[in-house]
Amino acid sequence: MLVGIELNKYQAQGDVTNEMVACLHTVAAKRCQASFARLFHYFAPRLRAYALKQMGNDALAMELVQETLTNVWQKAHLFDASKGAPSTWIFTIARNIRFDMLRKQQHRKEDICADDLWPVLCEQTADLAQPELDEQVTLEQVGQLFEALPDKQKQVIEAIYIQGKSQQEVADALGIPLGTVKSRTRLALQRLKEMLSDED
Amino acid sequence: MKIKLHPSDQQLTLFAQGQAAPGESLIISAHVDMCPVCQKRMANVEMALAEQVLTEQSPLPDRQMQDMLAQILATPQASTTPAEVHYLELDGKHFALPRSLQRYASKINGWSHMVGKLWQARVDLGIHGRADFIYMEKGGSVPEHTHRGHELTLVLDGEFSDGKGHYDTGDFICCDGQHTHSPRTDADEGCLVFSVLDQPLHFTSGLARLLNPFSHLFFK
Ligand SMILES: [Zn+2]
Repeated sequence: MLVGIELNKYQAQGDVTNEMVACLHTVAAKRCQASFARLFHYFAPRLRAYALKQMGNDALAMELVQETLTNVWQKAHLFDASKGAPSTWIFTIARNIRFDMLRKQQHRKEDICADDLWPVLCEQTADLAQPELDEQVTLEQVGQLFEALPDKQKQVIEAIYIQGKSQQEVADALGIPLGTVKSRTRLALQRLKEMLSDED
Repeated sequence: MKIKLHPSDQQLTLFAQGQAAPGESLIISAHVDMCPVCQKRMANVEMALAEQVLTEQSPLPDRQMQDMLAQILATPQASTTPAEVHYLELDGKHFALPRSLQRYASKINGWSHMVGKLWQARVDLGIHGRADFIYMEKGGSVPEHTHRGHELTLVLDGEFSDGKGHYDTGDFICCDGQHTHSPRTDADEGCLVFSVLDQPLHFTSGLARLLNPFSHLFFK
């Protein structure tokens, strides 16, 4: 009997997780308000319990809840189900916002913000910006490899990594679909990686 | 290349909760950027914290819920831009930095040449204590010293030894008052580390003891 209850509980938990994953994907793809409302009603009371403990004041707690869920609404496309459950992602967003709120509120003068510490809300570009240990290379090496890329890939990589444009901006500037920019970027990075591992 | 030294479970948990000191958080974050093992550990710690933290509920009045939901839905979708890539430069050498330290490559006030073959660039983080990039040329060493507080060191590039151990790229090293050491490197490419200190170092041997009155000028 007990086992049955436990199983049901876990199964229910898994169902909720799957449902939340689906909601996040629909929000990301279609900005679906109903899916967001479902996420909102599930997470708002939970985030509020966390926020009240952390902030010790209802107004600040509500600000933390609202700020966290606003990020979920605006940045659902950054959620990656292969890295963890929706609840983990949303907890880490709340943790980051709490960190920055407390820093402001306590007038601390550190120049360290949550985005530096935990890349939860950063665009995942950065295969080049986060060299794997074995891929630590000099700027000169990267320059040479970059020159070896096909022109179309070079153009995209240059705009994104050197000029710091977003993929959407590159798509607009070149008059090509966003999907093409994404696939060219992926191919170019893959190619750079292969060339780098060949060098070892 | 395999990283041998990692933050402890306790350090990692405090960091994941956002409760560790800011300077310590930054150097742990930089290690995690470099260390696939700790990336997995972090994911597990964060999953456990999320389960623990987001179980309890504190319901909001319906009216407030609806207002908040409407306000959120009225906000536009955010466009995010990828960060630029910065390199740390010293004497014509360029070092790739972990993601979390990228922003600070441009925030050093230049390199200063210290004793021997040692270079130091202070990073102004506004923290209690100090943070530096330190570069040892081949054959360079830091005079033997101990610590009044904590010294956290992350090897960003190259390797060094300190008479107690040998440390390679990615290693995360914690020292406190119990440790006396004198780091040195014999690697051809030298060694770049990032270090966070909460108290001045205390030099313990030979002539270096003369440095103590001035240690605030060096490694405060
Ligand atoms: Zn590690």
